Amino acid sequence: MTSTVGLTAARLRSYCRDVELPARRSGPLGRAADEIMRYGAFVGSVIERHKRLERAMLLAREQIAVRERAGESVVSGTTIIADSLTGSRGRFARSWHAPPGGLWGTLVVVNTLLPPSFRLLPMVAGIACCEAVRDYCPAATVRWINDVLIGGRKVGGFLCESFIGEGSGEEFCLIGFGINVNNESFPEELRDDATSLSLAAGTAVDLSEFGCRFLAALTFNIGLLYYHEDHVLGQRIDAGAAHPLLLRWRELSDSLGRSVVYGFDVISRPQYRAVVTGIDNEGGLCLTLTDGSRIVEHSGEIRYLM
Amino acid sequence: MSNEIDFDEILAKYRSDPYNYIQVRAPHTGVINYRVDKGQAVDAPSGEWQHIPGTTLFEITREKNRKPLCSPITGIVSELKAELEGCFVEAGEKLMTIRYPLKKKDIIENILKEVLYLFRAPEKAKYFFALDVQSRIDKKGARSVIIKPGDEILTMSLMKRDTPVYYAGEEGVIHSVYFEPGISVDQGEPLIGVCGADKVPLIQKVITRVKAEWDNI
Repeated sequence: MTSTVGLTAARLRSYCRDVELPARRSGPLGRAADEIMRYGAFVGSVIERHKRLERAMLLAREQIAVRERAGESVVSGTTIIADSLTGSRGRFARSWHAPPGGLWGTLVVVNTLLPPSFRLLPMVAGIACCEAVRDYCPAATVRWINDVLIGGRKVGGFLCESFIGEGSGEEFCLIGFGINVNNESFPEELRDDATSLSLAAGTAVDLSEFGCRFLAALTFNIGLLYYHEDHVLGQRIDAGAAHPLLLRWRELSDSLGRSVVYGFDVISRPQYRAVVTGIDNEGGLCLTLTDGSRIVEHSGEIRYLM
Repeated sequence: MSNEIDFDEILAKYRSDPYNYIQVRAPHTGVINYRVDKGQAVDAPSGEWQHIPGTTLFEITREKNRKPLCSPITGIVSELKAELEGCFVEAGEKLMTIRYPLKKKDIIENILKEVLYLFRAPEKAKYFFALDVQSRIDKKGARSVIIKPGDEILTMSLMKRDTPVYYAGEEGVIHSVYFEPGISVDQGEPLIGVCGADKVPLIQKVITRVKAEWDNI
């Protein structure tokens, strides 16, 4: 139950077909869910499981390089999962505690999206995680850009890095994910800011089942990027209309209306305080400062003040 | 970069016209409505985070979407294509010129930008030095850090996606850093200025000479 041994590509495909697709068909996009799921079907097409790794992101980079030297290409959607990570880190080299019990890994996505869609990929990770967590704990929310919180404490975090293949010049987006599922103890420095799904739900969670739900939600939401792009280019959707992914993000987020401190690296170098007034059509965070002036930020991070 | 710089020629150029000129162009197609006149003074963005917009120069309307465009600099509108008022223009159409006086620091920077190799921002984003480069800068200072083509020197951060930026240019030391971590850099703007290690004394000579000469102008 606390292992990912049951998380396989075959199980994910079954889950997507039997559970995720019917659920999405009953959502606001209706029968379009079929096409969307097909677009995202590459997610988890290969799932590699490891007992222990230093960092899944490092292994993904190595695999891309090794494959390219052999004149091959890593399969887009390859997902590398480890039961524990010994050298995991967050942004700005912050440490990330990744003991057994959590869902730790990296998803390799070959970038075939146009820039306006590609820039939303980090938001997809937060949306998919929040959707999966809400199946167990409806109180989960997303904090801009993609932190997933329960009761103000972080349950899931993502590190997205672009990587250019040396041989092919192909651009990969490596989506590193760390989700506290059944791990319940945290180092002293994280104790006040972190929680896990099992702590919030009050019971242990089947890790493979959760992994399936998360990857299935990624399948749908990454598929939505492709679907929307195709329909805008084909002029079947008004390009000026809000992206459905951003509408979903707004539904899941508790950032809107909050007083926050913003910083490019908000932990070591907080920059200013403001109130979140919205997100723009590119995913940028709209902030109003105390003097009434407004700023839109497209990178950096926030922490809630109350 | 030549080892010989004709200081007299360079300084004469700045003496005869101690201004810089910014061409303001339409960012996309649309109908133009000016909000300034020729000769009018305009202000740059202000505030601690440069969050208070500068003077509105014009509005451009496309498909009922009206967008104000503001001055990026404090100066004077020295030229304005008044005949375009109310007209539909193409992206890139020149609309006006803003002139602003150069300070000693601007002149040094302008000269350095002519003699340094400028590595420019590939996208509008926020940038920071790669961890390895930053630790070398912290230990020895930027002007002791030698970089060569292919080195991962910067990280570009956009929507919490970090992209390594590899240096493509001549090998040399990082002489000038034009960005601040946490502040957005527009696409094409210089991030760093690089010169060969043997050229550093020459660069220092440029700076010293301009500092001395400009006081007399």
